[in-house]
Amino acid sequence: MGRRDFLRNLAITSGAITFGGSLLAACGGSTETESGGLSIGTPQNPIKLPVTTDAIADGLPNESGTLEILNWADYQNPDSIAIFEEKFGCKVVTSIYDTEEAAIAKLRNGTFKPDLILGMTDTGLAKLVAADLLQPLNKSYIPNFGNVISGLQNPYYDLESQYTVPYFIYGNGIGYRTDRIDKNAFAGNGYDTLWDPQFSGKLALLDSYRDTLAMAMFRAGNFDANTTDAAVITKAGDDLVALREATNPKVDILAYQELPAGNRDINFTWSGDLFTALQYLPEGVKPDVLGFWYPDKTIAKNDFMCVTKAAKAPVLAHQLINFLSDTDNALLNREYVGYQPALESITVDLLISSGTIPESLVDALVTPEKYDAGIAQVSLEPQADALWLEQWTRFTAG
Amino acid sequence: MLFGSNSGRVSPQDKLKKSPRLWAGFAFPGTIWLIALFALPFYAVACIAFGTIDPIFRDAVPQWNPLSWDFTQARQVLTSLATGPLRGVGLRTIVYVFCAMTLCFVVGFPIAYFLARHAGKRKMMLLVLIIVPFWVNYLMRMLAWVNLLSVDGLFTRFMRIFGINYNWLDGSPITVTLGLVYGYIPFLILPLFATLDRLDWRLIDAARDLGANSRQAFRLVTLPMSRAGLVAAGVLIALPMFGDYYTNDLLSRSPSTEMIGNQIDFFLNASSQPQNGALLVLTLSLFLLLLMSFYLRSTRQQSRQVTR
Amino acid sequence: MTAQRSTSRLALIIWGYIIWSLVPVVIAIIFSFNDGRSRTVWQGFSLRWWWQDPNLSVLQNAEMRNAIFNSLVLAVATLLIVTPLGIALAIGSQRMHGRSANFVQGLTSAPLITPEIVVGSALLITFTRLLTAVPLGFVAQLLGNVTFSLASVVVIVRARLVSIGASFEEAARDLGATRWQALRFVLFPMLWPSVMASLVVVFATVIDDFVITSFLSAGVSSETVPLRIYSSVRGGATPALNALATLLVIISFTALILGLFALSTWRKRNGERGGLRAALADVTQMEN
Repeated sequence: MGRRDFLRNLAITSGAITFGGSLLAACGGSTETESGGLSIGTPQNPIKLPVTTDAIADGLPNESGTLEILNWADYQNPDSIAIFEEKFGCKVVTSIYDTEEAAIAKLRNGTFKPDLILGMTDTGLAKLVAADLLQPLNKSYIPNFGNVISGLQNPYYDLESQYTVPYFIYGNGIGYRTDRIDKNAFAGNGYDTLWDPQFSGKLALLDSYRDTLAMAMFRAGNFDANTTDAAVITKAGDDLVALREATNPKVDILAYQELPAGNRDINFTWSGDLFTALQYLPEGVKPDVLGFWYPDKTIAKNDFMCVTKAAKAPVLAHQLINFLSDTDNALLNREYVGYQPALESITVDLLISSGTIPESLVDALVTPEKYDAGIAQVSLEPQADALWLEQWTRFTAG
Repeated sequence: MLFGSNSGRVSPQDKLKKSPRLWAGFAFPGTIWLIALFALPFYAVACIAFGTIDPIFRDAVPQWNPLSWDFTQARQVLTSLATGPLRGVGLRTIVYVFCAMTLCFVVGFPIAYFLARHAGKRKMMLLVLIIVPFWVNYLMRMLAWVNLLSVDGLFTRFMRIFGINYNWLDGSPITVTLGLVYGYIPFLILPLFATLDRLDWRLIDAARDLGANSRQAFRLVTLPMSRAGLVAAGVLIALPMFGDYYTNDLLSRSPSTEMIGNQIDFFLNASSQPQNGALLVLTLSLFLLLLMSFYLRSTRQQSRQVTR
Repeated sequence: MTAQRSTSRLALIIWGYIIWSLVPVVIAIIFSFNDGRSRTVWQGFSLRWWWQDPNLSVLQNAEMRNAIFNSLVLAVATLLIVTPLGIALAIGSQRMHGRSANFVQGLTSAPLITPEIVVGSALLITFTRLLTAVPLGFVAQLLGNVTFSLASVVVIVRARLVSIGASFEEAARDLGATRWQALRFVLFPMLWPSVMASLVVVFATVIDDFVITSFLSAGVSSETVPLRIYSSVRGGATPALNALATLLVIISFTALILGLFALSTWRKRNGERGGLRAALADVTQMEN
């Protein structure tokens, strides 16, 4: 009996005896594939996303019980959550994700079943919508929506903010230790420092294929962070392989812990991580050991909060969005998270005057001018995405 | 324990053999369990590996009918393993496991030997001390080393006294290999000890009496007698090492020390392309199956030689 | 080289090994009592990471307590399923014969030579694509751990069956017992040591398990202690993490000591040779 026949027999017999039902269900479901492409909004072509369900009705009571959040690690202040729990008489639990792709894959296969997703960006939004994982928001629960930065109240990726409310804003750049690297090191093409062998073993990049490959493209003078040009993508892959050989980098999202701990000198990362890092400084280390190089041309963007279609506590999820969009609550949340809340009232001047930001990190703040000059980073069509991922695998496979 | 002979087989005349239905009934629930949750999953892996790819999410779409399996992606992954980016990962995995195994034997064999042969009255106490790490959680032991090896860790500071300033936790192959040794050596020493402890040392004494020096006695008597146990113990730690990814993740997290397990973990848990993960799982399983059959053949040959 | 010298050199290696294998762990345990936030620089003794700190200490932090609870529940639930399943499979597979026996024995030992990552990923794929009625999280982790530890129960119990042999049951049958009575009153009581040993081994395996439990987890609701350690080791975690890991060590050793105690008591009462040495051999799955 051939191996194939054996496998088939095995599946048929065991499936029939034990889990026949779900086996058949799975077989039936697997043949359907959605047709059509992704709904991708860009600054040039803003998009109103398709809606397949109604938002929840007005004036529903808050659910009692548990609200489950899916979020990045250390991306919400436990104190803020405790206040919310007390105010709404509920329990909040949080699951953690490390990359957008993994989060989307796990939302699709049912590993994660949260009510509320925090920190997702528009590079993942098209897939979330295509997989029909989100529900439209009912703004009557979110009166604080008016606090959001006015330019982000009708974003290109989600016109009329049907699904999303902005959470934090940030830009991509290089965090470094001012006690080990001079500011002038970034004078020329600042990205070149990441290829400098003298930082071998003390250097890290973001574990985000879109951000890190785009960085390599910017260094080479290609400023389209959504390119579908195979040659440009391959070149970025080549350059990252060269970087790997020159500096033996780590690839993670731990800049906010490892830079203050002194475990590395230089880290391509999100600007907000440097403010998170402040509270991870060991006792007795001054905050100005942390520095940030904010490139002239780089990605600047916001992430957002959204409610899942399968949410068991959609009203509480709306309430938490509203809660975090309140200025005072957002400031408290920022004390722990460090990132800049995407609220109009929380200006760069306000943050500087709070006295918590050392001189060396003022450059890491995203001003409205920097935000407007930022390069957009949007969802990719699957074919282009495959090219990006292929180069990324080449780099991470070492 | 693992590859022990089936010496427990009782003679065919045994009365207990007479009620096959009863015994089959005893084995039935466990067998069904293993078919459903051990054998069937391999079929599921194959259906993902040889399935198609969702055009939008790049996610794998399983193909449940083996007759329509698609091998395009399999060919790509195999090419990548042979000549492409995954080649380095595969080779590195083999090199790390080989080095770690060698070190495990270099350190573990003398310990097991001493324990079995020369420990005397302290045998029990030493045995207990050696079994302790066996019972300490693997991640706890890695955590201990992460603490010691970090930039201001005790070990790093200690080594600085000798002028050695090394970033132990920054993608160092040395750290990863030593981490594997530290993690798996308890699982080698115990079976080694069990093998050596059962040896008939009188034979070695006899060899010495007949004029062999200690080295000769070791090479000509001890080693051949304990060979099967040695190989079994080696296999016992080699298998999990080939699938290890967490040691590497905790002690390095750098692309330059990426092992095959990391790639499987990445593709299945952190990427949108589980099909590649499924293909690597199949490849790893086949590779280990080959190693196993090689091992089984060599032990069979060996036992044939012994009986001759 | 003289025998004396080589022996003392071996003794040196063995003590070196013991120090090398245990001191890092002992240091990690000591640092759970550190007064500062650091897991690497000693700043005085305190119990703040064990229970004094109202939010961050291991006994007061909700997430850490949750992880401990999940670990214990998973281990106990696995025991409840795998023990009867494994004993039955051991008896059945040892006494069947013919081709079906070969098949069952092959199937039973296959998990022993399969790396955990292979079992874990295969089950992940199965539960997300094929047997979709099984939700990831506790249920999937339970099924996975039972599958992976079934083989060790079978190995331990089968070894005992071999050493018992068939003569006791035959004698009982000759004296007029039914087959079931012979099993119930003769064989089962004699299996006790192996059952105890497998309880201890499986408990320790599951409570320490990382790979399968991690592959089949579903967010924070099914996070166990090893998962928690894994996700925070490389970050800026406080010494509470060391305390958490220490707690896991304490739990494992408590189970081990209870098991050893029960084993040696049983052996003494039933007049079997052995004592601690035999008990240790049982729980380390060593041939004795």
